[in-house]
Amino acid sequence: MTTTMMKTTARIVVPIILVVALSLLLQGHNLPGGGFIGGVLTTVALALIYVAHGLDYLESGVLDREVESGAGIFQHRTVLAYRKTFVFGLAVVAGSGVAGVSFEEPFLTQAFVIVEDVPIYHEIELTSALVFDVGVYCVVVGGLLTILSVVGGE
Amino acid sequence: MSPQLSVVVAAVGLPFLAAGATPLAARRLGDDTGYAGAAVALTCFALVATQLGRAGTASAAWIPSLDAAVRVTVDGWSLLFALLASGVGVVVFAYSARYMHGEDGLARYYGTLLAFMGSILGVAFAADLVLLFVFWELTSVCSFVLIGHETEDAAAGYSARMAMLVTVGGGLALLVGVLLLSTASRGAFGTATFDLAAMLADGGAMRAALRESGLFVPALALFAVAAGAKSAQVPLHFWLPNAMVAPTPVSAFLHSATMVKVGVYFVGRIRPLFLSPEWTLLFVTVGLATMTVGAVLAVASTDIKQLLAYSTASHLGLMVAGFGFGSALGAEAGVFHLLNHALFKAALFLVAGVVAHQAGTRYIHDLGGLWRGMPFTAGIAAVTGLSMAGVPPFNGFYSKEFLFEAAYGAAAAGGGLAWLLPATAVLASVFTVLYSLRFLSVFFGGRPADLGRIERPHVTLVVFPGVLAVLAGVIGIAPGLAVEAIVGRAVDATVLAPVEVHAGLPDHVTPPVVMSAVAILAGVGAYPFVGRIEDAVETATRTATPVRPNWWYDRLLDGTEATGERLGPVVHNGLLRTYATWVVAVAAGFALLGYLATGAVPLPGTGAGPWVAVDWPGVPPAMALVLAVAAAAGVAVTAASSHVAGVLTLSILGFMIAIFYILASAPDLALTQLLVETLVLLVFLLVLEELPEFYADLEVGRTVRDAALSVAVGGVAFLTVLLAAPQPAAEQTRIARYYVEQAVPAAGGTNVVNVILVDFRGFDTLGELLAVSVAAISVLVLITMRNRGETG
Repeated sequence: MTTTMMKTTARIVVPIILVVALSLLLQGHNLPGGGFIGGVLTTVALALIYVAHGLDYLESGVLDREVESGAGIFQHRTVLAYRKTFVFGLAVVAGSGVAGVSFEEPFLTQAFVIVEDVPIYHEIELTSALVFDVGVYCVVVGGLLTILSVVGGE
Repeated sequence: MSPQLSVVVAAVGLPFLAAGATPLAARRLGDDTGYAGAAVALTCFALVATQLGRAGTASAAWIPSLDAAVRVTVDGWSLLFALLASGVGVVVFAYSARYMHGEDGLARYYGTLLAFMGSILGVAFAADLVLLFVFWELTSVCSFVLIGHETEDAAAGYSARMAMLVTVGGGLALLVGVLLLSTASRGAFGTATFDLAAMLADGGAMRAALRESGLFVPALALFAVAAGAKSAQVPLHFWLPNAMVAPTPVSAFLHSATMVKVGVYFVGRIRPLFLSPEWTLLFVTVGLATMTVGAVLAVASTDIKQLLAYSTASHLGLMVAGFGFGSALGAEAGVFHLLNHALFKAALFLVAGVVAHQAGTRYIHDLGGLWRGMPFTAGIAAVTGLSMAGVPPFNGFYSKEFLFEAAYGAAAAGGGLAWLLPATAVLASVFTVLYSLRFLSVFFGGRPADLGRIERPHVTLVVFPGVLAVLAGVIGIAPGLAVEAIVGRAVDATVLAPVEVHAGLPDHVTPPVVMSAVAILAGVGAYPFVGRIEDAVETATRTATPVRPNWWYDRLLDGTEATGERLGPVVHNGLLRTYATWVVAVAAGFALLGYLATGAVPLPGTGAGPWVAVDWPGVPPAMALVLAVAAAAGVAVTAASSHVAGVLTLSILGFMIAIFYILASAPDLALTQLLVETLVLLVFLLVLEELPEFYADLEVGRTVRDAALSVAVGGVAFLTVLLAAPQPAAEQTRIARYYVEQAVPAAGGTNVVNVILVDFRGFDTLGELLAVSVAAISVLVLITMRNRGETG
């Protein structure tokens, strides 16, 4: 699958996908999008890199680090990072739920404030739901990529 | 004075906290952890003792919607049981420190023992049926761990499992009984409650409600099963002797003073609620049967711990029979014997532990004349052994005398067959005297020639059973003290109207006194023939295997295992398509059945189905085209010539559905569908190389079956959509209107779908994330297992 065509396509497409994914995540509250969709799209982008270049590429090609060979797929640094993302996401989701409790509101209660007079944007809406959505995003990205890379590694 | 909730909660909670800290303490203290445990038990004892003299219930909210609460009841009965559990706990912990010297798994041992003590205290004080059930089951779980302490020993595993299965099985009966009581309480109080104290306080109304709903006898029977399993009543007594593989302090604690008393305690607790002719018939029969069977089997035992175990079952039968009698004397027998038995039996177990520790054997025929080597231990054994036999003036005599009086009273009142009751009680007592003498022969009988020199036991092994023996002796000399201190009030909690308890040596000849005399004399007279009796009993039990419950237990367990082994491969053949077939066929079948049963879909020819309401010509042409392409792709997948072609054709179907969502103005769904479709395609491309190129030739039968199933499932899904989708003309539902109206003011988002996901129904999203987590973890586990070469 690691053909030149695939690699070239990935090189052009992946950054665009990532930016779109991020915007989907951020605009989710008011426009189509959200944590789940953003997460799946990010997964698609990274999966595309994986298909085009293999699992080690993120380490060696992007981050310019040595790849330890010989260690199992579970100890692969990229997979470890995915797993951490996954756990981090779960923690964020749970934490954002507990945050509501600390204000004596029920678990998972969300709030929002609108900040006005911001240059360029004029007004920005800050929602606690975004934190929750980021957690969702991390769980989806981490979970799906862990599965993908471990299954792919087989 | 009303009880102090905080003190009671502290007494119950402290052992659990200590159990949590035990691993650390055990590492630091080693063998001395036993003394730390004794300190905890002593603190609990002191906390419980502060409640002496108080009575009533106290509660704190727990699950208001079910009317389940942290309710505690303090009265003589609960205090007696709690004081016994914590008091014997002190002795057992302190004794363990020496006895378990150098053993492995001390942290597990002491931690579980502490948790066990907490659970017993919980059972004692719980006035809420849910709370009671929780602690009840906790005692079963803890005892499982403690009986199976020697994890390497197969016999210990077998016995632990047996105790667990029997007592937890009894616990399930308790659960059902609790639910029945709660259901019946609706009739008595208007609302369903789990408040046992309220039920007991208004016993008349509860009884009437139970009778009216026909639940009286079922609830009674279920509680009897629960108590019988826990308290080793015939025919569920067989786990108790097996449980003797546990370390001796565990046996002393669990199987004399606490665990097995839980059932008896509960019987005493619900006695005022259920006392009736049915109650008497059931418990007197079971109790006397257990008393006799236990005593006979104890005579035939050749292991001193086994002897004590059967004797325990026999004495538990005495208590249960006592509570079974309708007269207050019966309750007095049950309550007083609970105290007496705990004192002498715990001491006897500890003595047995000393014997095994010093002589290296528990086999009765190898032991004898030990009093020369260990005079103090022999003294303890004499006091407690004679107490077990029910010889005056030792404490066991008084409670047994109460039982005789109750049995004689019932017989005199009932006449006819009722005379069997005192006769059985006397017969059981003859055997009791016999096995008590047998036990004492270990100390005072002839010394076998091949018994080696016996070292004197360490003082810490003797002093704690000594304390119990002294207490038992004091009660024997002055039973009024115990009655005054607690037994009188405890009896009041188990009878309908308060009574005066009189315990003392008889000063004139009455029929019950004659019964006692007959039992003792017959027992002593039969002692020279004990060898022959033992052989006879052994032959009888060996030849009549089908009456042994243990045999049934083994048969049942082996049968279940064998059936499981046969059934497993049939149901679980490892082929994904088999599972898929069954799952979708059953789901579709049940859904269709549901629609037909509720009339949502009429039977053919009896009316118009939901598809009539659809405006078929009004479907927009674009949608029709997209769906037609999707359908065509669906058909084409089945005819695809290769995997790649199949996967690509399948994604045509997926993308068409995404376009359909766009046409139906659902951009979020469309986006998700597109992305998931892309991802699935990618995943497919990754794994495609691993799939076999060629499966097998198509079989016509299977193809037809699969095709029919596909059409059926598709049809049901179609019906479901038609039924679930709102009618075009219908108004928005209330909940839909609420979401649309509140999205901006309440959550500040204009994308209603996302607002529902993260704001209104965040909990659902959390659940979905858990599903993702479980899926990810399952994949990791499966692959790890395969890498390790496991196949299971």
